[in-house]
Amino acid sequence: MTLTLSYHWRNLFVRKTTTALTVLVIAAVVGTFTWLLGFVVALSDSLAVAADPRKVIVMQRGSISETNSALPPEDFNKLMQISEVASDGQPLISPEMMVQVSLARVRDGGTTQANVAVRGVTEAAFKVHRNVKLLGAAFSTGAPEIIVGRKAAQQFQGLQIGQSIRLGFSGTREYKVVGYFSAAGGPMESEIWGYLPSLQSAYGRTVYSAASLRLADGADAAAVVKQIDGPAIQLEAMTESEYWQNQSSNVRFYQAVCYVLVGMMSLAAVFSVANTMFSTVAGRTREIAMLRTIGFSPGQVRLGFVIESVLLSLVGGAIGCAGCAAYLAIMGNTKDMFGASNFTTIAFEIHLTPLIIAGAMLMVAIVGVLGSLAPASRAARIQAIAALREP
Amino acid sequence: MTLGYVLMQNLRRNRMRTALTVIAFALPMAVFVAAISLVVALIQLNASLARELRLAVRSKITLTNYLPERMRKDIEGIDPQRQRLTAVCGMRWFGGRVPNTQNVIQSLGADPDTFPAVFSDVGMTEAEIEQWNRERVAAVVGKNIVEQHNWKLGDRVTLESTVPPYLALEFRIIKVVSTPGRTNGFYLRRDYFEEARKAGGFDAPACNVFWIKCNSVESLHSLQADIDALFANSPNETRSFDENAFIATFTQAVGDLPGLMRGMAIVVVCIVALVAGNTMMMSFRERIRELAVFKAIGFQSWRLFLIVIAESLTLAIAGAVLGIVPTATALSIFPPSKFGPLPIASLAISPIAIGVSFGIAVLVGLLAGLWPAYQAARLDTVSALRKVA
Repeated sequence: MTLTLSYHWRNLFVRKTTTALTVLVIAAVVGTFTWLLGFVVALSDSLAVAADPRKVIVMQRGSISETNSALPPEDFNKLMQISEVASDGQPLISPEMMVQVSLARVRDGGTTQANVAVRGVTEAAFKVHRNVKLLGAAFSTGAPEIIVGRKAAQQFQGLQIGQSIRLGFSGTREYKVVGYFSAAGGPMESEIWGYLPSLQSAYGRTVYSAASLRLADGADAAAVVKQIDGPAIQLEAMTESEYWQNQSSNVRFYQAVCYVLVGMMSLAAVFSVANTMFSTVAGRTREIAMLRTIGFSPGQVRLGFVIESVLLSLVGGAIGCAGCAAYLAIMGNTKDMFGASNFTTIAFEIHLTPLIIAGAMLMVAIVGVLGSLAPASRAARIQAIAALREP
Repeated sequence: MTLGYVLMQNLRRNRMRTALTVIAFALPMAVFVAAISLVVALIQLNASLARELRLAVRSKITLTNYLPERMRKDIEGIDPQRQRLTAVCGMRWFGGRVPNTQNVIQSLGADPDTFPAVFSDVGMTEAEIEQWNRERVAAVVGKNIVEQHNWKLGDRVTLESTVPPYLALEFRIIKVVSTPGRTNGFYLRRDYFEEARKAGGFDAPACNVFWIKCNSVESLHSLQADIDALFANSPNETRSFDENAFIATFTQAVGDLPGLMRGMAIVVVCIVALVAGNTMMMSFRERIRELAVFKAIGFQSWRLFLIVIAESLTLAIAGAVLGIVPTATALSIFPPSKFGPLPIASLAISPIAIGVSFGIAVLVGLLAGLWPAYQAARLDTVSALRKVA
C-alpha cells in the first residue's frame, strides 16, 4: 500500500499562501543559481576550447601575454629547428602579432567600450589553429581587410561585413570587415584577424608578438617547452592550456565568488523548506495519525513528507529556471571579461543548457530532501493514538 | 503582561521555527551586506574621483597605443594662463612584477614634476615631494602592494617589466599610499624609466595617458572637448574621459561586477522578505485563537497589531545581526583587496553598508509583519474563537 503522488500534490495546495511563498523563495534562489552557473559554465567552456595540448605558444622571455611580447624574426626562425613540430611540407608555426582596439559594446548601445584583440596572422594560422573555421570570405593579402570572430561580431559595434574600423599606430588605416570566423566557441571568436604584414606596417613594427606551434601527434609538449627555454633558443614557451590558465586567474576568482554565493543561498533555501515542512507536519498531526491507524508504516509517512518537500522544491526550481530563461531572453545574455594580463576581452554568451538546468534541478531536489529530513522524521514518530486524541 | 514578555513567549513557543527563520534570514543577509559593501565602496570611490577633477587623455584607438611626449606641451598650450588646468602628468605603463612571480603590479611611470600636483589625493608631504624630486629611483607605492610583499618604507625593491624591453629596475619606496582606490598602485618616475629604455636603444619617450588636473567641473568639460578637437585628424587622435569614466572602462571589462552585485542584492532582499513573510503567516495562522483570547480579555486592536509586528521585527533583526556581524568581521579581517581583481579590490565594509543592510532588514521585518498584524488587529473575536486551529 503506497500513497499516490496526487495525494502529495494536492497537499501542496491546501496551504496556498505558505506553499506559494516557499516556492517563490526557492524560485529566487534557483533563478540566481542558474544564472551564475550559466555564467561560470560559459566562461570555463570558452577557455576549455582554447586548451589544446598539441599547441604551444612562444613569447619573448619575460612577457606573460601575447599583447606585451615582442618576438624578432631571427628568434622566430630558431623555432624551425624543433623537430616535434608538425609539418605539411612547411613546419606548422604561425607568426602572429597582437594589438588591440577599443570598440563600443552592442549590448548597452555603445556607452561602454571594450578592448578587442586584433591578431595579425598568415596562412599558417589556419593550419595551426585547427578549430578556426572561415564563415565566408578570407581577408585578401593585398587589401586592408579583416575577418572577425563570430562573438566579436555580435558583441561590438562596427564589425558587420562591409563596415570598417580604424587600426594602426596612429589609427589612420581603415580596415574593412570581409568575413567571419568561428573557433569552436573559444576565446579566438572574440578576436579580429588581419593579414600580418599589412598590420605590421600599419603599426610600424618589424617584430612579431608571439608564435603558435602545432606539435606532431605523440610529441611531448613538456620537452618542447623545455627545449625552447634554452640554451639554444631562449624564449618563453607554454602550452595553450597553460597560457589560458594564466590569463584566466581572475576568472577563477569570480567563479569561486559565484559558488560561495550560490552555496549560501541554497543553504538558506534548505532552512526555508524545513520551516515550511515543520509547519505542515504540525498542522497535519491528526491526518498523519489517521494514516498510521489505517496501516501506513512510519517509513511510508516519512517518505511521503520527503516526496512532498521535493515536489514543492521542484515546482520552485522549474519557476526559477523559467524566470532565469525569461531574464536572459529579455535582458540579453552576452557578457565579456578581461584576460588577466593581456587586457583584451573575451566575449561569451550565457545559455541555459540542459546540463545547467539538470544541475539546478538536482540542487533543488537536494534542497528539498535536506529540508524535509527533520520534519519528516518528526512526522514518522507521531503516535497514532495520542495524536487522534488531541483536540 | 508587557509587550516584551509576550514577544519572548511567542518566539520561544516554536523554537525550531524561530531558529530556522533566523538562519534562513541570516544567510542571504550575509550575501547582501557583502554585495552592498561593494556597491557602496564603488559609489564612494566614484564620488572621491569626481572631486579630483581629473581628465584622462588616451589614444582614440586604444589605451596601449602610445601618445608622443610632445603632446603634453600641446595640451598645456591650450591654456597657457592656467585658468582651466592646473597641471598635466604623462603616464606610461611599466607593468612590473617581482622577479619570479606571475602577478603584474599596476606600476606606472609618471612625470615627476607634475605627479604630486595632479595626484594630490596621494597626499605627499613637502618632505616627500622633495625626496621624490631628488631621488631618481623614488617610488610611491600603495599600501596593499607593500603589505603583500612584506616591504616597508625605505626598502629598495626590484621590479621586472613585462613589456618590451623587459627592463629590471631598482626602486626605493619613499611613500606608502593608503588613499582608497590607490592602494594597489605603484608610481615611479617616468624620466628614470625612459632613460633606461633609451639606453636599451628603444624608441622615443611616450605615454599611455595624459592626466590633466582641472580647476573646475566646467573647465573639465570644456577641456575634454578642446583636447579631442585639437588632435582630431592628426596622427594621434585622442579620446578623453573623466576619471570615473576611465576607471569604468576597466570595471566594466571585468564582467560588470557592480551590476551583478546590485542584481544579487535585489534577489536577496526578495528572498528574505519571502522567508520572513512566510514565517509570520504560519505563526499567525496557528495563533489565531490565542490572539482572539487576548482580544476577548480586553487587549485593544493596536496592541495586537504591535505584538505581531514586534515579533516579525525581532526575527528580522536577529537574522540581520547573525548574518551581518560575522560577515562584516570576516571581511574586515580578510579584506578581498589583498587578492581580488580591480572592482573587488575596492571592497571594504563601511558603516554605510552595515547601516543600509540593517535598514533593509528592519524594513523587511515590518513589511512581512504588516499583513498578519493588520489581520490580527481587525480580528473578529467571536468567529476567531470558534475557529479550529
